[in-house]
Amino acid sequence: MNFPKLAIGLAAAACCATAAAQSSDSEGDALGLVSAPDAPAAATPAPFKLMLEAAAGVADRRSTGGTAGVRRLSVDLYRAGRLAPGWRYVVSDRIDHVRPADGGLPDTVNSLREAYVGWDAGDGASSLEFGRINLRQGTGYGYNPTDFFRDGSLRTVTSLNPFSQRENRLGVVMLRGQRTWAGSSVALAFAPKLADSRSSDGTSLDLGATNNRDRWLLSASRQISERVNAQALLYKETGQGVQLGASATALIGTATVAHAEWAHGRQSSLADMAGGSSGGEKAGHRYAFGLTYTTAGKLSVTGELQGNDFALADAGWAAAGGAAQRGAYLLTAEQRQDLASRRAALVYLTQKDLLGVRNLLLSAFVRFNTIDHSRLHWAELRYQWPSIDMAVQWQRSSGGALDQWGLMPDRQVVQAVATYHFR
Amino acid sequence: MSEHYGVTMGASVMQRGRRLVLLAWPLAAGLAWAAPDPQELLRASDAIRNPGRPFSVRVTLTDFEGGKQVDSSSLTSWARAQEDSGQFASLIRFTLPARDAGKLILRNGDDLWFYDPGTKASVRLSPQQRLMGQASNGDVVTVNLARDYQASLLAEEDVLDGERRSRKAYKLGLKAGNAAATYANVELWVDAENSRPLKGRFFAESGRLLKTVYYRRFEQQLGRERPTETVIIDGLNPKAVTLMRYSDFATPTIPQNWFHRDHLPRFQPD
Repeated sequence: MNFPKLAIGLAAAACCATAAAQSSDSEGDALGLVSAPDAPAAATPAPFKLMLEAAAGVADRRSTGGTAGVRRLSVDLYRAGRLAPGWRYVVSDRIDHVRPADGGLPDTVNSLREAYVGWDAGDGASSLEFGRINLRQGTGYGYNPTDFFRDGSLRTVTSLNPFSQRENRLGVVMLRGQRTWAGSSVALAFAPKLADSRSSDGTSLDLGATNNRDRWLLSASRQISERVNAQALLYKETGQGVQLGASATALIGTATVAHAEWAHGRQSSLADMAGGSSGGEKAGHRYAFGLTYTTAGKLSVTGELQGNDFALADAGWAAAGGAAQRGAYLLTAEQRQDLASRRAALVYLTQKDLLGVRNLLLSAFVRFNTIDHSRLHWAELRYQWPSIDMAVQWQRSSGGALDQWGLMPDRQVVQAVATYHFR
Repeated sequence: MSEHYGVTMGASVMQRGRRLVLLAWPLAAGLAWAAPDPQELLRASDAIRNPGRPFSVRVTLTDFEGGKQVDSSSLTSWARAQEDSGQFASLIRFTLPARDAGKLILRNGDDLWFYDPGTKASVRLSPQQRLMGQASNGDVVTVNLARDYQASLLAEEDVLDGERRSRKAYKLGLKAGNAAATYANVELWVDAENSRPLKGRFFAESGRLLKTVYYRRFEQQLGRERPTETVIIDGLNPKAVTLMRYSDFATPTIPQNWFHRDHLPRFQPD
């Protein structure tokens, strides 16, 4: 071996030795670390969550052409536990103080989302529950046709993010029984009529929003394989025919989850409901299906196509009248948590540890009305400390003056949100 | 890497064999008879990590970056071997940080669900999504490796254990034997004296090292000495380390129907 080769060989050997030593050193360093103290035993039992959230920002008003401040203070409580062997309870409540207030409601609104007791048979496979229960169905991200108890469930809208909306909604007073086996389950729920109409009292239980007619729901789900799960539903409410529903999820490869959801029934159109006329009932479908793909870089992207045969299509949208009529139509769709457009699409993404910064989370979505081509954009950058979250949210709606998203009162909203989670 | 060790061991044995075949034939035959069955070793190692009955355990996770603590969280895990597959199904409930209290992750093979009591939503996860979160670290703890991997003996060597002591160990190469396996390949060092798992290196299909794991602090739990802490070193960023500490081992009744997504909204253990 001549000198240059020897030098290169020694350098290479030194390099390899250094790399090996570094690896070994880092493992050695790791083995010297000491674990945090064990969580106190008191933290283990029943879940208790108390959260305080404050938001402040600026809205670019489409209607007045100027800007206005927006402020919100929210207190959110969730408590679940055991009353006695076999008996459990859940209480979930939220108070929102919003300025300026949502139309028709006072500044401060209390939402008793859940308050129910449950009884489990000895083997835990059978259960009965009674009270106000937030019973959510469906696999869709932005639209859930089989979520039959969704209408009237939202008292205040604090965010247009579909996940936040699910968090804020009211449950329905019902009696529900469920039986589960190793890979399947059957459930029957009955929600009676308890009041006639919604309440604008901020302290009301608002049973008229959630229990204004008798409703029945029978559901059965089955794990077809480790990769495929499906659910079938039958829903009936006073004055309407039976609606069928089905949903499924499937794992495709190791990084993709497919979801599909469908409902079918005879109903009045949304436009007839908004106009107060019973109109003629017709049969139609509602659906949502999509894919979620996750990269090794912690980015998850969901694409979803949505459809509603009871919503306005091209011709109906063009003939829907002026801003007032269209506003009433959109309000009806919002109250019913229904899709206002015959066809729509959603793209939703989340990026964990954005730019390699631990606990920095980016969430964003775009909703497309594929009939009038208007859009809603929403993005949030959130940093999480152990008890505090700080976030900046941006929301922008775009479209023509009579389009779905072009009719929103705010063209753009930017706000900062601070959340404290009590331990 | 496993092929590399295989070639080295093979050549070495051949050279020695040529020199000693006659003189040492009885001894060689004895050694061959005593050579451990790698799959049996793996099973014995699994049995040390996993109690042979349904169990629950409280887990405290501490995250470090460059030696500095950056996060901590805690959860309780309920696990039970499935009658059909023999693999563990697990239900994890987070207790800390406060924002995550009450959230659940269900894993039954590839049937993975995340449940948030706030949104009442059960969201199906892909294995890739699960790898992003702390729950994936459970894969290196409560998993029946012998069910999903085919083991081969790569070497007998000294290895530094989690307490930084040198131990004589069998180095096993594990190759995923079915689609349910989370990792494509695993290198596992098993204590030659008592089959304790000492160290593992977990690889993706691309060959990328995902994590290096040390099992340590063996204590008497549920009838035998089991590891009560694992040190998990990120494969891409060795400065990112997670310590998982296990306490409050128990054997409550864990019915099979807990591992169904429709049970998640009413999950409330005693």
